[in-house]
Amino acid sequence: MSAQGNSSVGRFMVYTTDNRGHTPEELANMAMEHIIAVSSAAPEPIRLQAEAYKAKLHELIVRYMKKAVEQDRLTLCQQLEKSGQADTANIIRSL
Amino acid sequence: MAITQAMCSSFKGEVMQALHDFDVAANTFKLALYTSSATLDASTTVYSSSNEVPNSGSYTAGGGTLTNQGVTVSGTTGFTDFADLSFTSATITARGALIYNSTNGDRAVCVLDFGGDKTSTAGTFTIIFPTPDASNAIIRIA
Repeated sequence: MSAQGNSSVGRFMVYTTDNRGHTPEELANMAMEHIIAVSSAAPEPIRLQAEAYKAKLHELIVRYMKKAVEQDRLTLCQQLEKSGQADTANIIRSL
Repeated sequence: MAITQAMCSSFKGEVMQALHDFDVAANTFKLALYTSSATLDASTTVYSSSNEVPNSGSYTAGGGTLTNQGVTVSGTTGFTDFADLSFTSATITARGALIYNSTNGDRAVCVLDFGGDKTSTAGTFTIIFPTPDASNAIIRIA
């Protein structure tokens, strides 16, 4: 008798940027990699339903991520203005 | 010179000798980036700084520390996962990576082949690990 097994390395992704950080859209793509995986071998109706769900979820994550960035900048601007750095606050507000 | 994605052969034996512990906050695993001049494949046994990308931004020699997400068994497959890893404000061109156990003699775990050079310029270089399940997780034993 013998027992056999296989070891595998999964499919990963690499995202890079030039002169900036990641955008909410890119971060949402990264999050989706962890939330849902749709097999290309899945039956078509199931695959299409899963893809549609994935797209909806992606849209929702992007929307709330943008709100999080906006709210964080608001807080930052308020703190800068309070400490007399209105010019810096204006630069951040214009981003 | 080539980087070939693989589970390192030495790792397979070392798992049976209990030399790697992927539980949360157990051994420390790191990910080092390499240029296309590196030779990495199933025969790689330990981390080496040869042809590693140079320090830039938050990337320093030896690479970044991975955050273990623990070990799960689902059906007949055991798997582990790490949190995504980012190097910020970095100018990097890398062709692949090595995951290794820095707690335990820098022993190699697996080689990641990027399929081509990936470049960030004064930006963010991020490695996204796959969905942690029995079919997709980064390290699986079936």
